[in-house]
Amino acid sequence: MSEMKDMIVDVVERMFKEKVEKETVDLLEAGKWGEDVWQLLLENEIEKVAIKEEQGGAGGDYEDLFHLYRLVGKYAVPIPFIEHTLANLILENSNIQPRSELSTIHIAAKPLDIMEGKATGSLKHVPWARYAEKLVTLGAEQGKESLILIDLKDATIENHTNLAAEPRDHIKFTDANILVSYPLTEQQREFFAKLQTVVTVSKMVGAIDRAFELAVQFSKEREQFGRPIHRFQLVQQHLAILAGEQALSAAALENIIALLVEGDVNDEVAFARLKLDDASRIVATSAHQVHAAIGVTHEHRLHHYTRRLWAWRDEDFHEKYWKKELANKWIHSTNTLWEELTKKKHVEHS
Amino acid sequence: MKLPTVQFTKEQELFRQEVRTFLQEELQKGSFQTKCDSWLSGSDPGFSKLIAEQGWIGLTWPKEYGGAERSSIDRYILTEEFLAIGAPVAAHWFADRQTGPLLMRFGTEVQKNFFLPKIIKGECFFAIGLSEPNSGSDLASVRTKAEKVEGGWIVNGAKTWTSNAQDAHYMVTLVRTEPLKEKKHQGLSQLIINLESEGVTITPIHYLTGEHHFNDVFFDNVFVPDEMVVGTLGNGWTQGLAELAFERSGPERILSTFPLLNEAMEELKRQQNIEGLAQASKLVAELWSLRNLSIGVAKVLEEGGEVSVPAALVKSVGTKFEQKIPEVVRLLLDVYPHLKADRALDRFLAESTLHAPGFTIRGGTSEVLYGIIAKGVLAG
Repeated sequence: MSEMKDMIVDVVERMFKEKVEKETVDLLEAGKWGEDVWQLLLENEIEKVAIKEEQGGAGGDYEDLFHLYRLVGKYAVPIPFIEHTLANLILENSNIQPRSELSTIHIAAKPLDIMEGKATGSLKHVPWARYAEKLVTLGAEQGKESLILIDLKDATIENHTNLAAEPRDHIKFTDANILVSYPLTEQQREFFAKLQTVVTVSKMVGAIDRAFELAVQFSKEREQFGRPIHRFQLVQQHLAILAGEQALSAAALENIIALLVEGDVNDEVAFARLKLDDASRIVATSAHQVHAAIGVTHEHRLHHYTRRLWAWRDEDFHEKYWKKELANKWIHSTNTLWEELTKKKHVEHS
Repeated sequence: MKLPTVQFTKEQELFRQEVRTFLQEELQKGSFQTKCDSWLSGSDPGFSKLIAEQGWIGLTWPKEYGGAERSSIDRYILTEEFLAIGAPVAAHWFADRQTGPLLMRFGTEVQKNFFLPKIIKGECFFAIGLSEPNSGSDLASVRTKAEKVEGGWIVNGAKTWTSNAQDAHYMVTLVRTEPLKEKKHQGLSQLIINLESEGVTITPIHYLTGEHHFNDVFFDNVFVPDEMVVGTLGNGWTQGLAELAFERSGPERILSTFPLLNEAMEELKRQQNIEGLAQASKLVAELWSLRNLSIGVAKVLEEGGEVSVPAALVKSVGTKFEQKIPEVVRLLLDVYPHLKADRALDRFLAESTLHAPGFTIRGGTSEVLYGIIAKGVLAG
């Protein structure tokens, strides 16, 4: 575990608390973004957290980064921090020098066609493409997949958004130059899918943290029938359900981070992602029910979190993807479910 | 509250393997038959004796009483293996889970020296006397009373829903040792009552399957000697609450219907039913998430931390999950549930379906737990 973790996470949380107002998040609706917050992170070199020092980074680790992603979810920060840092993390993992210019990533997609070193094809819902300079994505030449870095100057970009008004642009390349390419093994492709999924889980847990917090706070402040609504048992039931889902989600995240740090992560990422799908639904439902009418207005900030949960659950490597992966694996397994769940980690290596 | 993550050590994995191999061999020998909810419905003193011979009752207790002084994570593993294979562990269950820890915390040296070695040897089973005919969720309203006499107490009253009293030798009984006043939590004490004492009558309450797991226990002028008071007189409520975290967060709040899920997955594999496996993966993901939380609580408990809220969380969500398994499985496979079915799947489905309503009631109803959780959340 990185000793810097608590410090970095605290510092960044303070920045977000101070700088990310409701109006900041709403910038997205007006086609703008949180440039000031992004600048502040750059000035403090927070975007370099998980990059090794010899690569010009700050030398933190996965754990730091995922806790920062959770904060991005918790404050609905309207900047491409996650995309930029994940792009760099994956470049670094592919022996490619991380980029300092704003980069984004889209790997849960059909690879671009590569012919004689040029890329052609279109990608839908690419996060933050309109603001980024570089894109990390997949390319395929005669069935062989590579991770490629490509310049977004060479793309035609059509602005688009997800349910939460976050930039998710449609882009198109025709014979575009490939800046760097790295041939991917099946194992690496799987690892990157897991990494991307842990990222999604991190920000979803953050949004759940906040939706839960808002519901508890609101139930204390709002009075009806002459008393705060948390005094009603049916409201308490919602709070208890929210607390349960928040605790399960947070524990899922902490467990996959711990396994990832040990380099021993397996089906757990899929399990966490499937759990977060349910948790998102349950949390959004109960948080809105506690807030009642005010929570469904644009004026209230609850939708910053619930809309993100609804958007994120259908992005990247989603529930359907992981269900299929698990089923395909189990159908050939001679282990019982209990043996799968309690597979030995240490004994096999000795 | 942030719970720790637990990675099993190599020694712990070997221990799991040791337990599993033993249980599989016993299953093959016919020492027991896999059952869902076996920690309530599977009382077999002979099997408990066998477990005791392995040194697996009182696993975490001090060596001076005959225990193995192993970690609570080891005990967690042991318990998981019992439940996953549906072994009949109900006879020694309550003594191992609750009475031992209670006595170690509040018991006198004499009590510890007398009871703990017997429990560990599988010769002494306990029941827990809490609910009464008119005190269920409102537990502090108990009316069973103990009146002081020379050298002890005279107990009159009745307990109900007492699991496994028919096989138990003693009962830790929550009684009123002072008259009921305004604050009903006060004046309660825990007495160990020998169930063979004169004046004790045990009558079965048949579960909706027709089986005998619960009992009514009546006390008619039962004499209980002074040395059978546990802890401090009048402190019974607080002492009893301390037990509840152990009772609510364990794997038995997640795994009661696991044999059904395990068998359903095997059947889906035999049928090469990829769509069914994909749907079942949601249950597996839920189970994985609950296990993380439950093991995290076990770790905090071992370190002496306060976990009443997360323990209530584990129980409220975990028992709902236990109930969900039969409801999902019956739609994934062709089934015909029956308690006496030849096919394991149908039998497990019957056991799970019929036992399911009890999961969210026993050990604190979900409604009571929601109240505890909400209170904790609002205070935090």
